[in-house]
Amino acid sequence: MRSLSYIRAKTVSEATEAFVAAGEGARYIAGGTTLYDLMKLGVERPAHLIDIASLAGSDRIETSGDVLFFGAGARMADVAEDGVVRRDYPVLAESLSKAASQQLRNMASVGGNLLQRTRCPYFRNGAIGAYPCNKREPGSGCAAIGGLDRGQAVLGVSDACTAASPGDWPVALTAMDATVEIQGPAGPRSVPIAEFYRLPGDTPHLEFAIEAGEIVTGISVPKTEAGRNSTYLKVRDRESYAFALASAAVALAMDGDHVRHAHIALGGVATRPWRAREAEELLTGRSIEPDIALAAGKAAFAEARPGAHNAFKIELGARTLADAIMTAGRKMQ
Amino acid sequence: MTQERTADRPRVDAYEKVLGRALYAADQPIAGLLHAMTVPATIAKGRIEAIDMTAAQNVRGVVRIFTHEDFSQIKTTPAARGAYGQPGKGHQPMTSPVVRHRGEPVALVVAETLEAAIEGAEAVKVRYASEPFSARMEDDLASPEAEPDRQLSSGDAEAAFATADHRVDVEYLHPQQHHNPIELISTTAAFEDGELRIYEGTQAASAFAGGLAGMMGMDPTRLRGVSPYTGGGFGQKNGIQEQSVLVASAAVLLRRPVKLVMSRSQLFHTASYRPRSRHRVRLGADEQGRLLAGLYETVQQNGRYDGFACDHGANPPRMYGYGAWRGSDRIVRVDTQTPGHQRAPHEHPSSYATECAMDELAEAVGMDPVELRLANDAQSDPITGKPFSSRHLADCLRRGAELFGWSRRMREPGALVADNGDLIGLGVACGSYKASMTAAVTTLRLFASGRCDIATSGHEMGQGIRSVIAAELIEILGVDPTKLDVRIGDTGHAPQHITAGSWGTGSAAPAARGAALKLRDELSLLTGAPLSEEPVHVQLARTRRPSLEVTVNTIPLGKDAQVIEQLRRGIPSTTGPEYPDFMAFSWIAHFAEVHVETSTGRVRVKRVVSVADCGRVMNRRTAESQVRGGVVWGIGAALREAGETDPRFGGVLNNDLAEYVVPVNADIGAIDVDFIDQPDFKLNMSGVKGLGEVAMVGAAAAVVNAVYNATGRRVRHLPIRIEDLL
Ligand SMILES: Cc1cc2nc3c(=O)[nH]c(=O)nc-3n(C[C@H](O)[C@H](O)[C@H](O)COP(=O)(O)OP(=O)(O)OC[C@H]3O[C@@H](n4cnc5c(N)ncnc54)[C@H](O)[C@@H]3O)c2cc1C
Ligand code: SF4
Repeated sequence: MRSLSYIRAKTVSEATEAFVAAGEGARYIAGGTTLYDLMKLGVERPAHLIDIASLAGSDRIETSGDVLFFGAGARMADVAEDGVVRRDYPVLAESLSKAASQQLRNMASVGGNLLQRTRCPYFRNGAIGAYPCNKREPGSGCAAIGGLDRGQAVLGVSDACTAASPGDWPVALTAMDATVEIQGPAGPRSVPIAEFYRLPGDTPHLEFAIEAGEIVTGISVPKTEAGRNSTYLKVRDRESYAFALASAAVALAMDGDHVRHAHIALGGVATRPWRAREAEELLTGRSIEPDIALAAGKAAFAEARPGAHNAFKIELGARTLADAIMTAGRKMQ
Repeated sequence: MTQERTADRPRVDAYEKVLGRALYAADQPIAGLLHAMTVPATIAKGRIEAIDMTAAQNVRGVVRIFTHEDFSQIKTTPAARGAYGQPGKGHQPMTSPVVRHRGEPVALVVAETLEAAIEGAEAVKVRYASEPFSARMEDDLASPEAEPDRQLSSGDAEAAFATADHRVDVEYLHPQQHHNPIELISTTAAFEDGELRIYEGTQAASAFAGGLAGMMGMDPTRLRGVSPYTGGGFGQKNGIQEQSVLVASAAVLLRRPVKLVMSRSQLFHTASYRPRSRHRVRLGADEQGRLLAGLYETVQQNGRYDGFACDHGANPPRMYGYGAWRGSDRIVRVDTQTPGHQRAPHEHPSSYATECAMDELAEAVGMDPVELRLANDAQSDPITGKPFSSRHLADCLRRGAELFGWSRRMREPGALVADNGDLIGLGVACGSYKASMTAAVTTLRLFASGRCDIATSGHEMGQGIRSVIAAELIEILGVDPTKLDVRIGDTGHAPQHITAGSWGTGSAAPAARGAALKLRDELSLLTGAPLSEEPVHVQLARTRRPSLEVTVNTIPLGKDAQVIEQLRRGIPSTTGPEYPDFMAFSWIAHFAEVHVETSTGRVRVKRVVSVADCGRVMNRRTAESQVRGGVVWGIGAALREAGETDPRFGGVLNNDLAEYVVPVNADIGAIDVDFIDQPDFKLNMSGVKGLGEVAMVGAAAAVVNAVYNATGRRVRHLPIRIEDLL
């Protein structure tokens, strides 16, 4: 029988040292809601689990300084319910409370959340049928292209992979210019979230800008008044407990009636959390009106490349963004 | 009396279940149990050329790996998977190197632990010779049967349609759906007390045990089927599963108990499902909206070798007073596992198509959809000419319209708008389901201590059949429900007819009632006087007898004593809907209110009102739950569920509960349920018709019709998704 070693680390250095010592097949585990799932699907076959759920101080939620800081081990549920986050940064709180289920949010960490994998059904089904999938088996092809691709991305796709990035929280963090704090055997570093996620290109199996053995220690979000006029809108196949077909994170910094700067990112429609700069530019200097909001929505999808069954995501994504802009705009009053 | 009858009583097994004390089939504590796991085929059609078991055999804990070579003696009988009682039909995997659908078991790994079984199964390497296939009825190699499965007609429907004042001619598509009961399908086989006991959450313990014995060439008296509780069946557990005979045979060959629990993802490929179907509906009416003609042609997917019937045409002609009718149902064969019965198996898809077509007709005639249905109410069946035993559908419609506030509805789509800008739509649809009954052999024992036990036919699947049996005993004997033991689902206690098709209550209630009445008679013979108001066990105690036992054979209307013999042999022996003097159905009317968000096309079902005519209501609480469950399922069918098949690979791609989208609490608004509660004593002494299936019939159509009323869009396929309304 496959054996599995398990240790619970108490500090970051203890964890990274254990990772190096364990060698091949080591994995960190926090809430386990992604990792166990991937183990059952045969995507992950770890030989050593290093539990980082109880690293000292890793669940810190810090809202009093110049930046918001979320320890990687903080639970999704705890961040979603934090009073300051809810009041001053609804986009962050909503992206968490609309994700997964309460049971999952009670277990899952905001750090582990950054590293969840795609819901592409061909990727997830490999154990039963060995579908061609470049993410799962580099070079094997992509069954989703030319297949049942209703859930696939329309932005950032490549000829090797069209898998949608699944998370909600990473989308809100992308809109808010977050930074991922990382600690590795070689020391600490900070990666802007825009650089944390890679486009699939020819190497869809490489998804995150993090090296084996490195630990995400936390996430910092610069404070901005735009946070108050913000929202996360998620449209899905049912009203709860489903991943996004299209989602939009919007935060607006205003000068009176006019947008000084818009923060916009999209989920469910792209191969990574998608910063919509075109839409942001279009809104800058404008007042919030339905037609302008919709124009911004359309601008975000100008480069979209749909497959056979997911072209509706272009229209849906544009309207979802437009609705989110209107909601964020209404928070001004 | 009526008060008592429809009492809102807690389920007799509620505490057992909530406290986790109810042991389901896979929970049985059995010493020395081995665990099994199947290896699923990764091709959709072809042959196994070679199986390499070397790596799997080296997995520590693996005891034995079985392949088709070990099981070639298993016989594919009419009881086998997919045969549906027909000789020459059906397919039992692993009895030959042939692979007939993706995901079917090609090897069975038995190990000391579940982990070793899983790991062993993953390590088995199979080489196949694959063949071209079609897994969807639209694809090239799908083959339509030459002859229709069923045809019903009365009068010259073509001619009547041709000259009708108002006509609709529409086609509806219903997708493939999967039952997904929470209890996974499992089989545990163990030799105990000299017999082979099979624990499986089945809806048909006798047919199951007898069928397995036949397939294995065993003496049926040495095989006992035990289905202690079934954690949701919905028709998926009404026969022998693909793994049942494999696990039983493995236990025989190894002389050790073996258990297999199929994983959710594999169940999408091995268990039955509701097949995809297409429905062409033509309705013709006169100026006043009276139905002159109905023409109804359906096509349904089936497995290549399976016997599952296409029966969509059975119910719709009974709904209204059609002047003339012609219907035909056909099968298209594809390379999948056998489909099967899923709650309201044909009645739900056919009501979806025909009740949506009625909505289209109402618009064509310019009539209110409730009025159109009332104008076509019927008291006899257009096909046989026989009267209905009881039909209060018009009352269901009137009471439902009142409770729902149907008068708010605007004929013009999109005319009702909510404060937030959502479009409001109101829809109505009706349903019916045949009222059937089966035989039972019931043994009832009353003890002077007050204890009481009853052994009869029935399977507890969450529908509350134990509570129904208890209700009759409480009413007739006044027994204490906490001192009552209801023994069902076990061929060791009484023969077990398959529980399905909404005949559970209509069969179990009269059986329990008959036994209770007989016990009263016997007791009064013993006491030598009519019974008093005192508790029966006190009166029994006074006779100085420790207990009193009666056995009663219940023979349903229209059958003779032969059914008891059939029952003992596990042969289905249902009656209805046609009886010597009448036709019997349950009826229902559903009203739905939807709100549609204009920007994204999101549909929310705010409220459903359902009024049912199911004869006498045995227990208001479980009855309301049945209807709510049926409505939730209807909402799921209308807006959420579909099994998806990639034609290049076969199988079901969205094979888990995250991707096979069923409604969650946030999707469900208010569901208000009411009953006509008029007993139908023509049918049986309990006055019961049946509720579990009719609850769902028409619910999806009501939602779809409401979506039209909100948006003006006729979406003629299910589920209606966001992209259909954008
Ligand atoms: C049924 C279901 C529905 C879901 N629905 C949604 C949804 O709607 N929206 C959504 O956004 N998410 C959804 N999720 C995903 C869920 O949010 C993630 O699984 C969760 O956030 C992961 O956190 P975790 O702590 O459990 O991670 P784990 O499973 O413990 O870890 C995930 C991965 O990250 C690595 N890891 C964890 N922590 C660190 C760290 N600090 N440093 C370095 N590596 C680390 C692990 O090695 C592993 O590879 C859903 C999940 C499930 C199972
Ligand atoms: S889209 Fe990406 S994840 Fe999905 S099958 Fe193709 S390569 Fe694999």
